Amino acid sequence: MILNYSQPLEFSNLSSWLDATLRNNLSEFWTLLIEFVLVGVLLLAAYAVIALVLIYVERKITAFFQARFGPNRVGQYGLLQSLADMIKILLKEIIHINKVDKFLFYAAPFFMVGASMLTFGAIAFGKGLQAVDFNIGVLYVTAVSSLGIIGVLLAGWSSNNKYSMIGAMRSGAQFVSYELSAGFALMTMVVLSGTMQFSEMINQQAYCWNIFNGHISSIIAFFIYLISGHAETNRGPFDLPEAESELTAGYHTEYSGLQFGFFYLAEYLNMFIIASIATAVFLGGWMPIQIKGWEAFNQIMNYIPSYVWFFSKTGVLIFFSLWVRWSFPRLRIDQLLNLEWKYLLPINLVNLLVMVILVLTGLTLTDLFPNWF
Amino acid sequence: MSSVSQYFSGLFTGIRSLMKGMAVTWVELWTKKVTAQYPENRDTLVISDRFRCELIMPHDTNNEHACTACGICVMNCPNGTIKIESEMIETADGKKKKVLKQYTYDLGMCTFCNLCVVTCPSDAIKFDNTFENAIFTRSKLVQTLNREGSKLREKKKETPAPVAE
Amino acid sequence: MANQIIFYVLATIIAIFSVLAVTSNKIIRSALYLLFVLLSTAGLYLLLGYPYLFGVQIAVYAGGVMVLFIFAIFLTNKPGDKVDKERPIRRIVAGITAFTGLAFCAHVFYYNIARVFATVAIEESKIQVIGHTLMGTEKYQYLLPFEVISILLLACIVGSIMIARKR
Ligand code: SF4
Ligand code: SF4
Repeated sequence: MILNYSQPLEFSNLSSWLDATLRNNLSEFWTLLIEFVLVGVLLLAAYAVIALVLIYVERKITAFFQARFGPNRVGQYGLLQSLADMIKILLKEIIHINKVDKFLFYAAPFFMVGASMLTFGAIAFGKGLQAVDFNIGVLYVTAVSSLGIIGVLLAGWSSNNKYSMIGAMRSGAQFVSYELSAGFALMTMVVLSGTMQFSEMINQQAYCWNIFNGHISSIIAFFIYLISGHAETNRGPFDLPEAESELTAGYHTEYSGLQFGFFYLAEYLNMFIIASIATAVFLGGWMPIQIKGWEAFNQIMNYIPSYVWFFSKTGVLIFFSLWVRWSFPRLRIDQLLNLEWKYLLPINLVNLLVMVILVLTGLTLTDLFPNWF
Repeated sequence: MSSVSQYFSGLFTGIRSLMKGMAVTWVELWTKKVTAQYPENRDTLVISDRFRCELIMPHDTNNEHACTACGICVMNCPNGTIKIESEMIETADGKKKKVLKQYTYDLGMCTFCNLCVVTCPSDAIKFDNTFENAIFTRSKLVQTLNREGSKLREKKKETPAPVAE
Repeated sequence: MANQIIFYVLATIIAIFSVLAVTSNKIIRSALYLLFVLLSTAGLYLLLGYPYLFGVQIAVYAGGVMVLFIFAIFLTNKPGDKVDKERPIRRIVAGITAFTGLAFCAHVFYYNIARVFATVAIEESKIQVIGHTLMGTEKYQYLLPFEVISILLLACIVGSIMIARKR
């Protein structure tokens, strides 16, 4: 399959070269140590850099949707804007508030960031560009990302502020409900691919992405996953935990400086994580577009490195989420819960059943047209 | 049965209206940007004539203004922005007359309420729309509006057309 | 070596936070300490090479149960208040109950540890196998208990709806 094509720009070339050199010169222990540290540092750096890029992109696209220019003064096209913002937020004073529950107040942002970082580790950025490849990848991702909500709840409670408290409660209710449909949508795809491991899932999608493979069922699951993922990140029409007009800034009202930065960072990264999981599960992850039997085409497609594929697919999904965000007005809390419990969840359950039937009766595209896909 | 069909029709109308909304924003994404890029567009910038930026006292080509130093604007200003110094002079025909010596206007204190302009009986002052008033020291905000050597315009004389500053 | 260090770190965390969870005066802090205990238990599973159990532990306990706990605490009257100390007689009774439970578990573990260890060491935890075991009807497969538990949960849901609608 993919291994047969020449891929000169692939990151795995570099990493395997590095691994080989280290192994030749150093003992096993030191090799592993250096590699672990490198992977850790790289992931953290990627976390920060992706957040910065996302903030810039979000502000630009938001501006375009509103017929504005967005940041365009700091650096060419405002490219350095988010860097400047980062420096500013690092220099800001952390305001210590008297009547908060100190321990919980300072612990809460770390839950948020920790949860999103843990999830971040399991994302396959490209061929051989995945830090941990659990055989329960999908379960791991849903489990770990659900830790973030504890940070939100604790932040809201410990701030000793009614706005924060109400914001946290709303956020909690929203997250717990939408986590369900996100989980079910992913489960639908697990049924289709028969594995929870991201790498295996992606390899299966070499010629036929899951979203096409399970046709109706997959597409429904895809949209449900996008909607509920969008809701989980408290964005767009679902941002009522931080509805400024009624709750000031919701659960992070009392936070300032770097601690607020943590929440902010986690919010952006969660958007990225949702998009990248959707990419991996539905859109074939880092797999290039390939067509069975058309070798020349595949050759060209494979020349484009896999991380470019991954980031462009993820980028499209992020653009989609921004598009939704700037199209719709904010929901009321009862509308929000109605949407989940009366529409998404029942549809999801039926959809799961449909998918099981599709798989069992061999009605997926790969089963129907084994020669094409 | 009706509730079931209501559920589905609600679902589909909902989806349709959401799509319509997204179509609208999609069009909006490609519309021309309306933001004015200020320092670059100085040449084409249009500021409304009614925009109040700073008080001026129009002088005509003979370096004459219309202020009689009556002090009404000073009395009407809620902020004490305007200060008038006047002096008594003797005119050619021997009459004593009060003329304006210095008309001081403190831009930093002005709230641009326009009361001075409205109440001035001689229409001697008006607001200009030159808005780039930022400077580095506060003392520069205090301006003298009557020009060096200017004097009151005679009533009977044919008034030359006032020139905008 | 590394495994041992990680184990001792996790074990210390578990021990310390378990004690803190029951001795803390503020109920919300107790909940948080309990969360730390659950998370480090998940870490132990990972150390044992059972990522599935790790995922389930985090999803169910940390993500589900603890969120509900914290939510329930928020909905009570004054979550921030300090809990009063119980009467001495109650504390003694509670202590005895706890120790009985501990003794019982210790007994069970002590007599079965060798066998449990043997089975654990042999089996490979593939989630496909776990799934089939949960849903199968043959020997050593658990469809019936699974369904019974789901009926229990259904009963719980119906019961809670009844309680909620009684007003
Ligand atoms: S605009 Fe108002 S505040 Fe300014 S000088 Fe005239 S009367 Fe005073
Ligand atoms: S500006 Fe007008 S109101 Fe003020 S002193 Fe002169 S004539 Fe009088």
